[in-house]
Amino acid sequence: MNLQLITLEVVVTLIGATILLGSLWLPADKRRHLPLVAAAALVVLLIAHCFAMGVDTTTTLHGFGGGIVQDGFAICLKRLFLASAAFVLAMSAPFVERLRAGPGEFCALILFALVGMLFAASANDFVMLFVSVELITVTFYVLTSFQRHETRSLEAGAKYLILGGVATGLMVFGISLIFAGSGTMSLREISKLDPLPNLMLFNAGLLLVVAGLGFKIAIVPFQLWAPDVYQGSPTPVTAFLAVGSKIAGFALLMRLLRHTSRPETGFLLDALAALAAFSMIYGSLCAIWQRQLKRLMAYIGISSAGYLLIGVIAMAKGFDGTKAILFYLAAYLFAAMATFTVIGLISKEGEDERSEILNGLHKRSPGLALTLTLSIVSLAGIPPLAGFFGKFLLLQLLLEMAVNNAAYYWLLGIALACIVASLAFFFGIIRAVYWPSDVALSRATAPAAPIPTSLPLKISLAICVTGIILLGLQPDVFLDLIQETVRAFRWQ
Amino acid sequence: METTLFYIFAALTLLFGFLCVANPFSRNPVTSAMFLVLTMISISGLFILLQAFFLAAVQILVYAGAVMVLFLFVIMLLDLKEAEHTHVRKVALVTGLVSVMGLGVMLVLSIAGSGIVEAPAKRAIGDTKLLGQLLFSKYLLPFEIVSVLLLVAMIGVILLSRKEAK
Repeated sequence: MNLQLITLEVVVTLIGATILLGSLWLPADKRRHLPLVAAAALVVLLIAHCFAMGVDTTTTLHGFGGGIVQDGFAICLKRLFLASAAFVLAMSAPFVERLRAGPGEFCALILFALVGMLFAASANDFVMLFVSVELITVTFYVLTSFQRHETRSLEAGAKYLILGGVATGLMVFGISLIFAGSGTMSLREISKLDPLPNLMLFNAGLLLVVAGLGFKIAIVPFQLWAPDVYQGSPTPVTAFLAVGSKIAGFALLMRLLRHTSRPETGFLLDALAALAAFSMIYGSLCAIWQRQLKRLMAYIGISSAGYLLIGVIAMAKGFDGTKAILFYLAAYLFAAMATFTVIGLISKEGEDERSEILNGLHKRSPGLALTLTLSIVSLAGIPPLAGFFGKFLLLQLLLEMAVNNAAYYWLLGIALACIVASLAFFFGIIRAVYWPSDVALSRATAPAAPIPTSLPLKISLAICVTGIILLGLQPDVFLDLIQETVRAFRWQ
Repeated sequence: METTLFYIFAALTLLFGFLCVANPFSRNPVTSAMFLVLTMISISGLFILLQAFFLAAVQILVYAGAVMVLFLFVIMLLDLKEAEHTHVRKVALVTGLVSVMGLGVMLVLSIAGSGIVEAPAKRAIGDTKLLGQLLFSKYLLPFEIVSVLLLVAMIGVILLSRKEAK
């Protein structure tokens, strides 16, 4: 027992339970402040975790029968999760009137999903992997259908429930085959087994578990649910699904592949390289003509998963991809959070978030227009912002791999082509924001009044924009920061 | 003796499972649910042969008992008469069959390729005492996380099923 390893998770669970109980006694008009209270608590927790809690990043600690590991990588991921949940709670503050069913429950569910993600960051055996994935997924079943007076939210919830159930089934079956093939549930013990008692069963199980995780990170061919679910869910939930749930899936996938990677399982990495190519192509091509903003974000998310998969493969092959992946994830987090915050602010209740709602945003609220532009520029990967540098680092990794295996030059070519193709959606958005056509303007029903933005949201948007710009212009500062945390990091 | 019992239970599981999803004689959902109960009971027979007594008991108590009662309630409350007339779409049938075949081929190949695994020495892995000890020592943390998960499920059910206040 080493309770120090799970302090963060326990504290977040307690905050969630307190909010759940507290909302029972709070008068109804005070309850709408709950998201901001929760966000503030998370910010305090994040700052404490960075500076005050004395978290030792230089050693790798194991606990709870080997199920939990704490190393530099897990710590970085946990901070990303805390930040993303704080952004999500901040952006749901003006959203609570639309939710109807209690804001207290909404905040508590977001926090419980966060607990699942924090556990996912340090899960080191299959029991923890499964339990943390289930905690995240079951919470999202509820969150996606939270606006149950809206048909599209219910539809999103039902789709996520059915496909999530299938993914869970595949994963459990895979875990049982892996256990049959290796005789252990611990990733660490699996990495030490040589040879594996039963390679064929192990490989089949590994394939199924990767398929199950593939649903969570939405890579081709497990991506079909993403656009519909993203469109129908309440906007803050979509943001959490696009950032938190995706990063959690990647955290688990990286640990899984790193520990199970051996010459006999090489076929899996080749297959994943192909899936990365398909995800990049599918995501960037579908994004070109997409005019529904949340669906657009789903396609951007699919292509991002493709780029990230390159880093995961590099890591499984023994290259040092930690920094590149963490940098890309941070850049994606800031840009996606800013975009979803703006989408949530400018769309009205029950309105479909088509790009027409952006028309003339420049005249209504120049600040929001600039924020949206910067984050879209970053997502498209245009220099000099954060997204560009993230992609650059991943492609550099790909180039290193290509030295040993010429087949990776193909992947490099596809990735470059997809980056160029993703410029297209960028122009569509920018045009709607700054130069809407007259026809679109005359049809627009939205009044040209500026959009009210509360102070906490202004702060959270300012942090996102600062992050996007700083990460792009001064990547070294952030890279050094990561380097310091993962300096002594070894996969164990 | 054990081998014979295994083949009997396995055959019954497959037969009842098939009758549950594609009964040529009846398209009544209640009949399907009843065949599902029989499938569960045959599976629990397989668990007993594997010495997993606790799992076998849970299978009958929870799945064949509680869960199936819930299924039947839903079927009767919704009065699913339309289900008797639905037609299976060809695309769905073909893609479903292809994916089932793919999964099946993969499994058969990997199980056949790995040869017949020698049966491990008989351990009472399904013993409740051992299970309890593991749950409260090595797997204590996942066990506790499941309690958060159940809390989430409870909140979710109440939120999504209660009547609109206004």
